[in-house]
Amino acid sequence: MSRLKYGWWLPVLAVFVVFPLVEKNPTYTTIGVFALIFMGCATSWNMFSGYSGYINLGAAVFYGTGAYTMALLSNHLHVPGSGDQFWLVPVGGLVAMIVAVPFGLIALRVRRHTFVVITIAIFFVVQLSAINFSFTGGTSGLSLPLIPWLETNFNTPFYYIALGIVIFATLLSFAVRRSRFGLQLLAIRDDEDRASGLGVKVFAVKLTGFTLSAFAIGMCGALYAVFIGQIYPQFVFDPLFDISIALMAIFGGLGTLVGPLLGALVLESMQQYLTLQFSSSSLYLVIFGALFLVIVLFMPQGVVVYVRDLWTRHSLASDDDSTPMDPALSGSTSA
Amino acid sequence: MRGKRKLFRALSVTSVLVASLFTVATSSGASSSGSIAKGQPVLIGASLSLTGEFSADGTAFQAGYNLWAADQNAKGGLLGHQIKLKIISDASSPTQVITNYQSLISTDHVNLTFGPFSSLLTLPAAKAVNRYGYAMVEGAGGAPSIFQSGLKNVFDAALPVADGLVPFAKWIASLPASQRPKTIAYVTSNDPFTEPQIPVAAKIIKAAGVKTVYNKVFAAEVTDYTPIADEVAAANAQVVVLGSVDVPTVSSFMQAFEQAHYNPKAFIATAGPDQGTTFLKAVGSTYANGVMVPNAWFGGSKNAESVKMVSEYIKKYGGTASGVNADVAEAYAVGQVITAAVKATGGFSNAKIITYLHSGVTIQSVLGAVKFNSLGENNQPTAFTFQWQGTKFVEVNPTTDPGATKILYPKPAWKA
Amino acid sequence: MNGTAVLHSIIDGVLTGSVYALMATGLTLIFGVMNIINVAQGIFVILGAYLSYALSVHLGIDLFAGLAITIPTLFVVGIVVERAFLSRIKGPERVVMSILVTYAVALVIEGVLDMVFTANYVELHAWYVDQSVRVLGIWLPYIYLLGFALALVLLGALYVMLYRTRFGASVRASLANQTAAALVGINVRRVSTICFGLGVAVTAAGGMIYGATNAFNANSSYDLISRLLVIIVLGGMGSLGGALVAGIMMITIEDLVSVVWGSTWSNLSFFVILVIVLSLRPQGLFGQRSVRVA
Repeated sequence: MSRLKYGWWLPVLAVFVVFPLVEKNPTYTTIGVFALIFMGCATSWNMFSGYSGYINLGAAVFYGTGAYTMALLSNHLHVPGSGDQFWLVPVGGLVAMIVAVPFGLIALRVRRHTFVVITIAIFFVVQLSAINFSFTGGTSGLSLPLIPWLETNFNTPFYYIALGIVIFATLLSFAVRRSRFGLQLLAIRDDEDRASGLGVKVFAVKLTGFTLSAFAIGMCGALYAVFIGQIYPQFVFDPLFDISIALMAIFGGLGTLVGPLLGALVLESMQQYLTLQFSSSSLYLVIFGALFLVIVLFMPQGVVVYVRDLWTRHSLASDDDSTPMDPALSGSTSA
Repeated sequence: MRGKRKLFRALSVTSVLVASLFTVATSSGASSSGSIAKGQPVLIGASLSLTGEFSADGTAFQAGYNLWAADQNAKGGLLGHQIKLKIISDASSPTQVITNYQSLISTDHVNLTFGPFSSLLTLPAAKAVNRYGYAMVEGAGGAPSIFQSGLKNVFDAALPVADGLVPFAKWIASLPASQRPKTIAYVTSNDPFTEPQIPVAAKIIKAAGVKTVYNKVFAAEVTDYTPIADEVAAANAQVVVLGSVDVPTVSSFMQAFEQAHYNPKAFIATAGPDQGTTFLKAVGSTYANGVMVPNAWFGGSKNAESVKMVSEYIKKYGGTASGVNADVAEAYAVGQVITAAVKATGGFSNAKIITYLHSGVTIQSVLGAVKFNSLGENNQPTAFTFQWQGTKFVEVNPTTDPGATKILYPKPAWKA
Repeated sequence: MNGTAVLHSIIDGVLTGSVYALMATGLTLIFGVMNIINVAQGIFVILGAYLSYALSVHLGIDLFAGLAITIPTLFVVGIVVERAFLSRIKGPERVVMSILVTYAVALVIEGVLDMVFTANYVELHAWYVDQSVRVLGIWLPYIYLLGFALALVLLGALYVMLYRTRFGASVRASLANQTAAALVGINVRRVSTICFGLGVAVTAAGGMIYGATNAFNANSSYDLISRLLVIIVLGGMGSLGGALVAGIMMITIEDLVSVVWGSTWSNLSFFVILVIVLSLRPQGLFGQRSVRVA
């Protein structure tokens, strides 16, 4: 049964693997790379914030840390602008995790919207530090070694590395969801005091989840730095990034496994595509906003949960196959 | 379980649909062969920030590009091909700018590319375009980092940023001792465009014996400029040099100065006052009197190319010569550089254009002579200082220039 | 740096801060009554500023007189948005959903404003915008004094309405406990709609002052909303007095640090203070009573 249950992942994965082989237009593989980067970030973000209910709006700290780690290391170690930089991607993730520990120690002492705002505040502290300190290059940012590859297949390695990060983040998120640790996170979301009373070491669990979620986001940041070739503090420590990945996860379905993936894929692609198509005026903002509004109002629990509920109703009506929900999809949202 | 499988199948179908959304226009290979079939237009692509942080400048650049294309088409286009511009917006996002240029080259098959607005976006864009072997001639990416990046395909037609304040500094130094100011204040936002300009000017001015009484950097993202402006006013320097990137900063400082009843003998801002009517509208037309700005171009330029462009601009958009944003000319010059390169190389091959522009040729443009060094910097333009005198925007520096108007010094009281 | 400069920066901070407090009060009122985080508040401020701009430039109506038109207009805009979109949000995820919905509304309004008014920066002008009066050896701009007075008058009016009227009693009941309020016969739906309208209406005044003291375009809204959110959390979400104190405190600290220490550190030190305050008092400065517990 479990083989069948997860069998649908395979064709989806196949589509992603085959996509750059079929799609030779770099415009769309570029959108693909950005979409994958956001999918990785949203999934990793959701692994902590979705499961625990602690909405972290400072995840750009991890992203920017990864990007700066990549830029500083490849400049100081004189890594040539070739594939060698990719080996530093996990290092970006690790440094992001290291940064996450003090971040979490401060922020995780408070709950709910106070937590949300404290993460925003810490985000700004880090962003403004990157602007004010000299080793980060200040407002001029940092330039990465020029990659001499020509456009033919330039995107391909980035695409597959990003896909690798997404798969990693999804598997990790899945493993966490299935583990005792994941259940403890969910217990914290449902009732933290009660969880604590039942013997869950809530602070340790929260800090572990928080730190774990930094890894993939940091890797995405590092990869982004190589891909774009030049980083500026306001673009890698970007408040819109914080909002975007949270929106993507919520849009798809907060706390679900598939939701953030779907949310990031749809929203990032749609935004890039609409900007490209309707950019002669600000009309694209209106269209994007209106579409967003319609979807949110019709699927208030996120797309994934909406589809699932639709199916449940349908299946209850048509046959009596009403097995309990797949835990990876259920639980939906409630903070 | 049957039901759930069906659901999952539905989901995967959705994913496939989303993925195939992008597979619609599958085609690749940019046409860098350099030849265009007879009767076909030449397609030029650019990404500009029509919304977001840089949108005010982005729209002015758009006007400049369009104006150039219309003029050149009236003259028969490029090598007999009519010019078609494809301008798309990047919403001031570095992510979008990369997608946009790739789309312009791969999907729209543009023959040539023009630069985006702001150094912040130019560098990522130039790196992306470089991979296709395309040249990127631009008019708004003069930060030193661009020329240190090792890119061979970037050409900035505008003035290199760091030297902007030099004529102003030299003018201060050249004043007779009796008129020369005794004190000066520097206040600049932390931005790659403004910060490099201050030390260059300060060195010259200091050598002339003018005392620096205030020198601070302020955060670009500050909410409220009044305390900084009040502090500058309290320092009571005779000259203020403001490192600004946009109109709101300059207008806030001017407002605060006036409210503090502080009127320096000279006031220069690195950017903002060069935005023509946009500037006048924001600060109020009577307040601009005496405000200076460094640049390579202004609407009243006597340069024949420029005079023509300005008259066409006014015909199309109305207003006066003083009201033309310098961004328009910078964008227009980009077109002229390309015109010269295409004519000289006899085709649209980007490789040949890059070689040609690196060959040390001098090209005439609305900005004056343009000549690129090995890094793609234009080392020809003379920096000028311009001043608002009433609602007229005039050249005042270098004073030796035949086109220079007498400088309004000391600056009249605000609003006078 | 000297004593006058410090005093000056404190006065600047209080005057400017009160206007931010006014805009933030709308936000905190909406949150307190409806459990909605209205991230469109920033674009409503800009909308208010543009309305004042249009009235003064095209019809020559004075900025303050124009408020008689712009405040009711934004009140109606608020009611329409609430009825059309926000009233549809139900269920346990109200807060999160409200962020999504108002974000989408903000995008649409931003796009429309950008198309109508273009991206060129504009600023509001009137004689009192550019002139100042000397008090205690310090030049104080009229517009800052008028903005301060306007903020106090409107906050006072809001206070009277909330604490001296029947409607106010039902609002406060809804603030305290929606279910109980409904049980004693208060029409919570109607109260919510009107509160949303009121919360948005104050942005017309805030926007006018903002537009007279800053050159702005539609993109300025992002900067505004992040500051307003920080203010209401610092003050304690749902606390009207908290928003006032936090708004003034935030701008004063920024102004003070930029004079004493340097502007590049002013935002940084503000956020460090915010982190410390919230670590010690998670409910914000004045949040103990009004913050919801669920």
